[in-house]
Amino acid sequence: MSAEKYLESLRESIVNLDFGAVVKAAEEAMAEGLDPNLVINEGMVPGMAIVGEKFERGEYFLSELVVAAEVMKEGLKVVTPYLKGDSAQKLGKVVIATVEGDHHDLGKNIVSSLLRVQGFEVVDLGVDVPTERIIAAVREHQPAILGMSALLTLTMPKMGEVITTLKETSLRGKVKVILGGTPVTDEFAQSIGADHRAANALEGVKKCVEWVTSQERRN
Amino acid sequence: MTEMTRRERILRASYKERADKLPFFHNWRHLQTGWAERECRNRGMGISWARPSYVVKIHDVDITEQRLEVDGQTVYRRTYSTPLGSVYLDERREPGTGEWHGMRSWRDVTPWQTERLIKGPEDYPVVKYIVEHTEYVPDYFPIEQAKDWLGEEGIVMDIHPHQPMQTLMIDWIGSEGGRFFIHHAKYPDLVEDLCQAIAKSREPLYEIAAKSPADIIWCGDNIDGVLVNPRLFEKYFMPEYEKMAKVFHEHGKLLAVHMDGRVGVLKDLIARTPIDIIEALHPPPMGDLPIGEALSLWQDKVIWVGFPGSVYSLGPEATKKHALNLLREVVPGERLCIAMSTENIVSNENLLMLTSVLEKAELPLTQEKIDQIERSLA
Repeated sequence: MSAEKYLESLRESIVNLDFGAVVKAAEEAMAEGLDPNLVINEGMVPGMAIVGEKFERGEYFLSELVVAAEVMKEGLKVVTPYLKGDSAQKLGKVVIATVEGDHHDLGKNIVSSLLRVQGFEVVDLGVDVPTERIIAAVREHQPAILGMSALLTLTMPKMGEVITTLKETSLRGKVKVILGGTPVTDEFAQSIGADHRAANALEGVKKCVEWVTSQERRN
Repeated sequence: MTEMTRRERILRASYKERADKLPFFHNWRHLQTGWAERECRNRGMGISWARPSYVVKIHDVDITEQRLEVDGQTVYRRTYSTPLGSVYLDERREPGTGEWHGMRSWRDVTPWQTERLIKGPEDYPVVKYIVEHTEYVPDYFPIEQAKDWLGEEGIVMDIHPHQPMQTLMIDWIGSEGGRFFIHHAKYPDLVEDLCQAIAKSREPLYEIAAKSPADIIWCGDNIDGVLVNPRLFEKYFMPEYEKMAKVFHEHGKLLAVHMDGRVGVLKDLIARTPIDIIEALHPPPMGDLPIGEALSLWQDKVIWVGFPGSVYSLGPEATKKHALNLLREVVPGERLCIAMSTENIVSNENLLMLTSVLEKAELPLTQEKIDQIERSLA
């Protein structure tokens, strides 16, 4: 079987949301001695890209996006041990959290998965994360981007609290801030001084890629 | 003509008849009892109360609860032991949980489940056993009592449990991290089988609800097209609504379903359901379906608008502007009620401002009447 056949199987298994098939294809590709970076970048990532396109066309819904990311994760479990050192290409670092008082994590987790697929290093702080922990993580990890999520109007003000504290601690200029969550509007994002409000997971990830690639171009 | 009571207004609109004024009300559990609430109620704001028409009896299942420390947090673990094995859920209860008027956030309203009842495939047969040993018994006292207390101040609805698939999605499996979708993809037979068992066990509830003293039976399904996508809605939700509505309608009762999410992707399917009241529909910026479009698309339905919390966060002036725009969009204002909030408490300032707009909304609404309201508030 040619390398392309294995890569095609990986792409298909992700698009078809097939947990068993992705593990089988990944194991076979590794047994054949394929480069794990090739398997990830030419097999799995394009599979997720097709899922993303289907999502944008309305053929797939969030549920498929979630499951596809999970299927890819299963495949990565097989391939990752074969990666030598830190050979994976990193696009940049993102710290992401659901703000204090809010336990919703579906959107945040999807964004985390998609960011990793794109090559970002993601520091996911989880849900119900107090402002001081977010600030400490920004200080420690020095990410290019901070992503915050809220699904409750009652917890949205916490996003503003984080941005205010970033300003007070002179960290604001060092990190882009992107917000997500159903109740979060452009108007609200602007009012608290965020850089962007993601309309959905895919659009948010595109914006993150745009930020770091334009930064790279400037550098 | 005698002015209608708040209860009459809400029911008239809900049964697609003309009320004298646009009905507006606050949900009891979000209502900040006090001076502003009293003033708003004196100026026409009603109350919507929801109480169950049944009690649940679970047979041959041992239920215990213990307080534990998990990852440095205090949780309350409820364990259900059956002959097939045990399942448990963990809850975090913040100070104030259950004390409805001590709210700071949702954490004070309902406990957060940090561990769901169904964690892996081995839990399905145990939960199915619990479902098959659950009995629903009519108990109309809570509704009768609430009706007696409220009188003409508002309405009392019967609370119905989530639809079977929604019970799995947001209660028992949970959507955190997309867990429900992953279970549905990995263990489709287990999910389907349990869903069917729940549906069967809930069937007696339709008759119980239909015979209750409440005029409206309310399903707090929290429909959002992002989570409940059209495929899921059509396959698992629509048939249940059809079964329920058939029984309710035979008894002259209305079916209301809580749909406060982004339902644009479901709008055509919703049009095909026999649901009478789309409850808590949130217009943009929080939702994605403008009220005008929803009213035009769902000609046989009544909409109870949920006033968006994100507008409240911008203050009373934004509240006034949004309320006036909303009125302009719904002219002549029929088949419509306004809920002051369906998700949290409203500040006194916002509540008073929204009341100032809505108290003058005489039906049928016209652009001239709305201009007049705007001028009176300038």
